[in-house]
Amino acid sequence: MENTIAGYFLEFEPLQYLVQNSSAFFGFDTTALIGFLIFFIFGIVFLGFLATVGGFGTIAERKISADLQARIGPNRVGPYGAFQLIADGIKMLSKEDIMPRSADKFLYYLAPFLSLFGVVCTIAVIPFSGDFIMADLNVGVFYALAISSIVGVGIFLGGYASNSKWSLLGGMRGAAQIISYEIPVTLCIMMIVVLAGGISFGTIIDQQAGMPWNWYIFHNPFTFIGFFIFFISNLAETNRAPFDLPEAESELVSGYHTEYTGIRFGLFALAEYIEIFVVNGIAVSLFLGGYHLPFDFLEGTIPGNLLQFGTFFIKTCVLYYVVIWIRWTFPRLRVDHLMSLCWKYLTPIAIFNLVGVAIWMVCFDGQSMFDLLFSGSSHSGGGH
Amino acid sequence: MFSDILFLSASALIIGSCVLMMWTKNLMHSCIYLLGVLIGVAGLYLTLGADFVAATQVMVYVGGVVILMLFAIMLTGGKDFQSKTQKILGLLPLMGSKYTFMWGTATAMVFGFCQIYFFRHLFTSLELNETTSNQYAPTVEKLGELLITDHVVAFEISSVLLLGALVGAAIIARPRKERPAFLEPVDDHHHDDHEEDHH
Repeated sequence: MENTIAGYFLEFEPLQYLVQNSSAFFGFDTTALIGFLIFFIFGIVFLGFLATVGGFGTIAERKISADLQARIGPNRVGPYGAFQLIADGIKMLSKEDIMPRSADKFLYYLAPFLSLFGVVCTIAVIPFSGDFIMADLNVGVFYALAISSIVGVGIFLGGYASNSKWSLLGGMRGAAQIISYEIPVTLCIMMIVVLAGGISFGTIIDQQAGMPWNWYIFHNPFTFIGFFIFFISNLAETNRAPFDLPEAESELVSGYHTEYTGIRFGLFALAEYIEIFVVNGIAVSLFLGGYHLPFDFLEGTIPGNLLQFGTFFIKTCVLYYVVIWIRWTFPRLRVDHLMSLCWKYLTPIAIFNLVGVAIWMVCFDGQSMFDLLFSGSSHSGGGH
Repeated sequence: MFSDILFLSASALIIGSCVLMMWTKNLMHSCIYLLGVLIGVAGLYLTLGADFVAATQVMVYVGGVVILMLFAIMLTGGKDFQSKTQKILGLLPLMGSKYTFMWGTATAMVFGFCQIYFFRHLFTSLELNETTSNQYAPTVEKLGELLITDHVVAFEISSVLLLGALVGAAIIARPRKERPAFLEPVDDHHHDDHEEDHH
């Protein structure tokens, strides 16, 4: 049976008591029903959590950019301007909902929801901690990749349906960019799959338990390069600078969401900021050891899970900071340079890495660099 | 019970999106309804316990094929397409003239009858609950093993086919020169890209 959050909570005494009593009351086995309710509640909890993270992402972006430019940034609402997201949310909800007269009404209304849908569906497999994962699917990583490709459809439709030249150009660029950069991302994930021998997040993370040198980023030189390719490609997939061509302010006004106002624009923005968190979470899980602490402390209990959750959250937030830092540091790429970077550099290097990892697995029997250096006893061939 | 609910909702999504897809006259909308159909089919795979196939369905069709179709419709001006038919038949989703409608109906009926005839034994021996309530065993490992043991020839042939498609796409998409490369003089040095940059 797959490891799910409902299965974890159903093992506790009070819930088993509840299941027994309700089964006796209703006259049928209510395990599935209670499990469904647990899924429902935690779906809402994780959704609220990610929405809050996305909201604070906008604040973090403005504060960090202000910091990098020696300004103060938003500081009026709440301590250090931390409640600015509430003010922004109320402003967006109360704004006038404008639609261009010649826009395609159906697609125009659908696009932001498709964009958010693709991001939110990935909640199901994000490993927040050992047991706080909605469902540790056997195809977890693959599912996350697949379902997040709906975001590209949303962005493209947003650009198309607005019936404006800037939106259209932005949407086309967005779709082309997302499709192209999926290739290096997938190849980098394949590399980790070859190492771990499975594509569920649980399998991948459990093999990186312990000290940081067990993380897959330090497993061998190919994975070390692979992490940076994965990170760069993720920047492009989430349309972040220096790859923010779909919404390039200086040429396309605002890109695919030029014509959107109010909460529809807000949904696009929220989807973008949540997606950054999600892809960084996947990067942490694949390369940086996921939720694992260096020691087994209270493993399996709720405080232990919260501790693991904190580890995951801190690692992801560090990457989130780097993403924002990059945005305010590097200039934007030209559109043909963007494509040649993907097809002529990242993809070949990723393929080379994949082959390299496969050869490493054969030659060194799956041992990491540190195993080879410090174990001493093993002198398993190769080495030249 | 849960898989029944999943099956029913996936079927409802498929049938509803299918009807809307055929009914609408805007190709772009049609493509979006197709998205619903494809996601519904992925749901059907899930009810059968084929998790990997479901994920692949979403990956390939939603992430690739639908975006390609959207691009193709947009670049060929699909938005302006309206069926220009007579008054009464104009109400029907013809996507053409009355001849296509007649032929389409005839074809659909013939195919339908053929399918019912060939699969008639399935309707009598259909025991849905026994087939779907199997244990949801992980399918990835079995698929992987089968692909490199029993079906290795098919696997290799299809990978060569895909590689050929990739190379062909690269050849079609590459920038064309005035003359084929083998007709160029041997001794000249091509640095076209760099020269253009400097101009």
